[in-house]
Amino acid sequence: MPKRLSGLQKEVLHLYRASIRTAHTKPKENQVNFVNYIHEEFGKYRNLPRKDFTTIEHLLRVGNKKIATFSHPELTNIH
Amino acid sequence: MFRSVCRISSRVAPSVYRTIMGRSVMSNTILAQRFYSANLSKDQVSQRVIDVIKAFDKNSPNIANKQISSDTQFHKDLGLDSLDTVELLVAIEEEFDIEIPDKVADELRSVGETVDYIASNPDAN
Repeated sequence: MPKRLSGLQKEVLHLYRASIRTAHTKPKENQVNFVNYIHEEFGKYRNLPRKDFTTIEHLLRVGNKKIATFSHPELTNIH
Repeated sequence: MFRSVCRISSRVAPSVYRTIMGRSVMSNTILAQRFYSANLSKDQVSQRVIDVIKAFDKNSPNIANKQISSDTQFHKDLGLDSLDTVELLVAIEEEFDIEIPDKVADELRSVGETVDYIASNPDAN
């Protein structure tokens, strides 16, 4: 399949992968909350034009910071 | 690292050769075997990958009715978008207790490619 992804698109996928992996480090019963939250957050910007680089870069930075926050082991659930 | 792979292959290959392959292809078996993980055959890997895919509950009607082979592509045949594919790959990673690096995971588009990668990963179990 020759669908080539841009560097920025790959970065988004890497962020998504890191998010899902972080979610899987949480207690089993709460993982679904984290995954739903990730879906929600990414879903909000699903229709963002792919040329809107500044917004995407901003969201990537925000997302990476959020992962750093959420990866603390004391944080076990979200609502 | 390379030495340990050789040691593993010399331990495993003879039994594989006896049970699966004919006598005449022994040297081929060893050559092929040494890059594969110590305890997983390709058939086992692909069966487990397919099980994970079937258990992956996104678009379940789409996946449940599909015949999954090594040619099946995540996007084209299973109707997964790029984010779903990432999620599926993480589920597969967990099944085999490995972490697929971003660079490799970006290139995995079909069941067969994934199976090949896992079979060649010595950490998979």
